Amino acid sequence: MQQKKGFVSFVLHAHLPFIHHPESDDYLEESWLYEAISETYIPLLTNFKKLVDEGVNFRITMSMTPPLLSMLDNKLLQKKYIKYLKNLIELSKKEVVRTANDKRLNKLSHYYLDRYSNDLRLFKEVYNCDLISQFKHFQDIGVLEIITCGATHGYFPILYVNEKTIRAQIAVGVQTYEKYFGRKPRGIWLPECGYIPEADKYLKEFGIEYAITESHGILYANPTPIYGTFAPIVSPEGLIAFGRDIESSRQVWSSINGYPGDFNYREFYRDIGYEADYDYIKPYIAHNGVRVHTGIKYYRITGKTDFKDYYEPQWAMDSAEKQAGHFLDCRNKQIDDVSQCMDNPPIILCPYDAELYGHWWYEGPYWLYILFKKIYYDNCNFELITPSEYIDRYPEMQICSPCRSSWGANGYSEVWLNQTNDYVHKHLHYAGDRMCELAYLYPDAKGLKKKALNQCARELLLAQSSDWLFIITNGTMVDYAKKRIKDHIGRFTKLYYQIKNDNIDEDFLKDISKKDCIFPDIDYRIYK
Amino acid sequence: MPRKAKENEKIKDAEKVTEKVKKSNKKKNVSTTKKSTEKKSPLTSKSKTTKKSSSKSTTKSSLKKTKSSNKKKTYINEYYDLPQKYNETIVKILAQTPKTLFVYWEISDDDINKYKEQYGENFFEVTKPVLIIHNTTLNYSFEVEINDLANSWYLHVNDSKSDYRIELGRRPFEKNDNIKSDYIYITSSNEIESPNDHILFNNSQKMVYFRNVKTNQEFAKNFSSLSFIRNMGKIYDIYDLYKELYKDEDNFDILSNPSSHI
Repeated sequence: MQQKKGFVSFVLHAHLPFIHHPESDDYLEESWLYEAISETYIPLLTNFKKLVDEGVNFRITMSMTPPLLSMLDNKLLQKKYIKYLKNLIELSKKEVVRTANDKRLNKLSHYYLDRYSNDLRLFKEVYNCDLISQFKHFQDIGVLEIITCGATHGYFPILYVNEKTIRAQIAVGVQTYEKYFGRKPRGIWLPECGYIPEADKYLKEFGIEYAITESHGILYANPTPIYGTFAPIVSPEGLIAFGRDIESSRQVWSSINGYPGDFNYREFYRDIGYEADYDYIKPYIAHNGVRVHTGIKYYRITGKTDFKDYYEPQWAMDSAEKQAGHFLDCRNKQIDDVSQCMDNPPIILCPYDAELYGHWWYEGPYWLYILFKKIYYDNCNFELITPSEYIDRYPEMQICSPCRSSWGANGYSEVWLNQTNDYVHKHLHYAGDRMCELAYLYPDAKGLKKKALNQCARELLLAQSSDWLFIITNGTMVDYAKKRIKDHIGRFTKLYYQIKNDNIDEDFLKDISKKDCIFPDIDYRIYK
Repeated sequence: MPRKAKENEKIKDAEKVTEKVKKSNKKKNVSTTKKSTEKKSPLTSKSKTTKKSSSKSTTKSSLKKTKSSNKKKTYINEYYDLPQKYNETIVKILAQTPKTLFVYWEISDDDINKYKEQYGENFFEVTKPVLIIHNTTLNYSFEVEINDLANSWYLHVNDSKSDYRIELGRRPFEKNDNIKSDYIYITSSNEIESPNDHILFNNSQKMVYFRNVKTNQEFAKNFSSLSFIRNMGKIYDIYDLYKELYKDEDNFDILSNPSSHI
């Protein structure tokens, strides 16, 4: 066994915007959660459990954002997820019959039937519909570190025009974490890795020790960090920043040479929702008859060709194993090189979207499982570590101010501020100022007014989600994102005037409180 | 997380149809209501003043008409537009990139009238709006002419990692009896620092400062005694790697990295 010379730290960012529509079953966007549960969260939990059962010592870090936690904890969405699974199981059964004459296809249809049936069993009988406690369990036994995020993934580098709104994003992020995990978070995934030095003091106020930044958050820091991204730095205000490693990121993320593009992997874009006979598939697609993904996908990437061959799970697993070996070799070499020049062992930080693993890269959770086993059993010069453990072991770090940065295109704010979405910011800023005004005017509200003020805070936070801005830039589901901004600003503004004019419409307040039921324990005085 | 183009199209189609459905519902329900007030569906019409008990019977009978409402609660049908104006005089500045600033502004009706009273009814026709950009780090200013049709602007600046503040003002096309000055100040913005955009290799720093985050003790090490920075070039060229990582990022589709949206 080689001597350990360094560390690798995987950080998976699990986030979805808060989508909850008790008023209708017609919102396709609700299925983002169900797809993520089946393709990412359950597979991750299953693989964590396998590793623990097999006695593999591993470490992983996950940020679980407050909107995601709120949705996982929501009874209506849990019910809807079960309905979603039952529907898929019914379709899978029909597929088993439909494909009876094609041996390869039939094997795959059985595979999906097993998989979704297993999801239903796990979710209802094993997890008791409570995924959060499952993740918490792995944190409690010490293999998983869960960190927090801004309350609704509000993008700090634009919101900070009013610093109180940043403070509230942090406060509610920390409070939500404590509610679900029974302790304070040590770290934060800054929404979109959006770092601004102005937030440091608030992060410290709420006990946050460290944040994850994009590579140039460290590389362009002042003064220049002498170990690059291979060691954390500490800001003058005391916030520790870990930067994304460039080389390992590229291996996984690159759309051209990245691992997820392997020809044996499952093709995301071929789904029977689009391909099956319309009358046959109609009960399983959108209510209004529009074809959408069902989750049953029979093809592999095959190559840069329109012709796609059937998916072979075993071939995909072979590819994942080969790539896990490649990743391991690359890190071994990287750590050999880097560690020679450092006083402390280097840390290679590998942050990814959690939903990359499983949802986009179907085999991702398996790749991670194999990689963690290899790291534990194979000849390897590094160990897995969480950022907190690294801080505890190597508390001496260079004092530098991280660079204002994000992990969006070109590294700054273009994704969330460009000509497609720039009209939004004025409304977010005004609503933020008005919220502070309300908290100042009514420092000790009671009864109905207090409820209305708390709902105002929820509406503001929901309007601030960076997701809406991202979706508008990205050009998919744009109408939905625009509607969400209008709805939350609209509800906020209406309540703002009702509170100030002392004519709160109780029915209206009840109605929107049911729709936007995130953060039941919020206290509007965080905006004081 | 972005989807690829192919799927985008499919989703867009889906959106169109859903939008159509929603729009037609909207029309049915709310065409007569004013903007920014919640719209009520005729199916569930429960007026603001109607008490729950008295509305029961009407709600019940109307519910039969809706599809999935046997157990479901009814919800208010809402429709909102964003506020047109906030009626405050402000200018705000944001950094889009290290060298591009975004500015938005508004002048309140009261102030518009105030200027008209002070400088004449045609004040806004005989003056043009300008933005004066102050770089307070390097201590210089420059001016950009804007127009009254716009309410926001993107500004290119030459210096990253600098503090900027902006002033909104107006200049008369020519001085007259009413307007004797060649510049009328309207309002000033917040101040922001534009991000840094390069490795600060420059430094003539000789000492590097460290902190033990457990004890908060700070200490300095002599820069030359540290081997990493000297060897960093041997390991890899950060610039090359960084360029490599971001080379495709003018293409939004490829930039599938960031942001977790399914």
